[in-house]
Amino acid sequence: MELRDIAPFPTSCFPSSLFPTMRADVEMNEESSKLFEREQAIYNNLDERFEIHKEKYKGQQYSHIYFSRLHHMRNLLYSLVPNWKPNLPVKTILGLEEGKECIIVGTIYKHMKLKPSILDEYSKERSKVPLVKPHNFVHPDDHLILEDESGRVTLTGSLLDPSAFVTGIVVALHGKETSEGDFFVEDMLEAGIPPQTELPLSSIQCIKNVTYVSPLQLGILGCLIILAGEDKYVVFVSGLSIGSSIFNPLQFQLLVDHITGHLGDRNEQSIASQIVHVVVAGNSVQIPQVLLSGHTIAPRDQSTLTEPIKELDILLNQLVAAMPVDIMPGPNDPANFSLPQQPLNRCLFPGASAYNTFMSCTNPHQFELDDILFLGTSGQNIDDLFKYSEAKNRLEFLEKTLKWRHLVPTAPNTVGCYPFTDRDPFLIESCPHVYFIGNQDKYETTLVQGPEKQLVRLICIPKFCETGNAVVLNLRNLECHTLSFPTSLDL
Amino acid sequence: MASSGLKNFYRQKKKGGVAKPSSNRSFAGKSPTVSLSHLVDPVPSPLHGSGAGSDKASLAAGIGEEEDEKLRQFDMDMRYGPCIGLSRTDRWERAAAMGLNPPTEVEAILLKSSAAASGCLWDGRV
Repeated sequence: MELRDIAPFPTSCFPSSLFPTMRADVEMNEESSKLFEREQAIYNNLDERFEIHKEKYKGQQYSHIYFSRLHHMRNLLYSLVPNWKPNLPVKTILGLEEGKECIIVGTIYKHMKLKPSILDEYSKERSKVPLVKPHNFVHPDDHLILEDESGRVTLTGSLLDPSAFVTGIVVALHGKETSEGDFFVEDMLEAGIPPQTELPLSSIQCIKNVTYVSPLQLGILGCLIILAGEDKYVVFVSGLSIGSSIFNPLQFQLLVDHITGHLGDRNEQSIASQIVHVVVAGNSVQIPQVLLSGHTIAPRDQSTLTEPIKELDILLNQLVAAMPVDIMPGPNDPANFSLPQQPLNRCLFPGASAYNTFMSCTNPHQFELDDILFLGTSGQNIDDLFKYSEAKNRLEFLEKTLKWRHLVPTAPNTVGCYPFTDRDPFLIESCPHVYFIGNQDKYETTLVQGPEKQLVRLICIPKFCETGNAVVLNLRNLECHTLSFPTSLDL
Repeated sequence: MASSGLKNFYRQKKKGGVAKPSSNRSFAGKSPTVSLSHLVDPVPSPLHGSGAGSDKASLAAGIGEEEDEKLRQFDMDMRYGPCIGLSRTDRWERAAAMGLNPPTEVEAILLKSSAAASGCLWDGRV
């Protein structure tokens, strides 16, 4: 948690050849008297729960993760049920009695007709599997089943719309068993947004639309606004896809130059000096697919495998020389496939890893900056939710995972996952202040308020190679805007 | 020669049968060792005809029949989660960490015998 030694800002960024000599001298003299120091923030890495180097695989199956998840969520829901419906008995699924109203808690399993299954290759009737794989596997015939250790029961009733749910979430249901042996659902309780540690006062006062701050507090806080700290910014970028055909090196170089302060005049430099941290959220490289097909590569072609990573290292080197950078692996990066993805190996970045500002992180990634809790992934969790359920937009999926208190509910069902035996590391214990997800199609953000004064900034980071947009977050008031680097010449 | 080999290869009647966990006869080590040895060696193994009572594997582990029964009950109890793929000690420790209060007598048995502790009910069967 140490403050890092960071080089002070470059003072001169005007190449002297663009200006008449006399003027450049005058500018240099003025600037050398004022050196912009970069702001710093106290960083705390909380990725330990996602690391698996201590785990030893003994051939176990995935049932242990589900058991862990059910156990923790069930204890939580049992503590919430008395506030919700205090007079109803809580039963296990095997203890259900026909016609009697009760509450049951279990894991939801969604039976999906179109879900691809490896067994389809062996089935004799191929008619129900469409030849073209759809992007979204939702079908009107999907139905939900609730399961706990004692048994499983099909859920009926119009309250629960199967397209809004996925396999793997734990909920409490109020209803009764029907004569056919199904469970008719009358009401549902989700765990809800987890508790959040309060932000330091100076950070929340500037947030707009804060309805729970009383007028009296505003009066006192009003004078604190003047005393509040400087603006500090965090830059999120993802989907660089170095090595792909659409990667434009000029775009990323512009971003790096802007953040490190090599671009622009004094005003721009002063803004850039307030950037304290950069998070690269996955898919930084893209190895050409043809090289990964399994054919042996001739020795002279082997260098093409490593070129994208070398290029990334060179670019990262410029960034880490200026400020702390967190790099997360994504679905296309050279890291393991199943979640939690382990940090990219430091030997992939011989240049950048020499700096102590370089942090290779897991995916999902959790950290604290000045006591503000950040949590995010490179996109696999929400992309999978998008495939197996429906929602208005990606932000709604993010909000749902917060309400279900689980980062990747579809792991290990449809998202690859390590078979943990004693814990489920994706449970969200405390609500983050900033919840981000990388590699999305477009930039979206919103501020979510929880029932117990929780405030979360949800951010969808767009793919940089396609949009040229990075996201900038102000730590003081959790406001977000984009940093756009269009390089096309049509205006 | 061939026919006697075939007779031994295809068992004519079940010896000991597929014992259920609730059966009193301790069987933990018996059936798997019998069937495996059948495939490997046409000569029937010494355990093949032995009757009820002593369980060579559990005796080798140094625990008696009732203790073996307690371990099996611990394995089968769904309150502590699934038992496949996890050694008994790990499962007991996991249950203790989760606050499920697993029986302490099971812990005593597991500490006594490392062979029983490292396995689980379904070893060699699944």
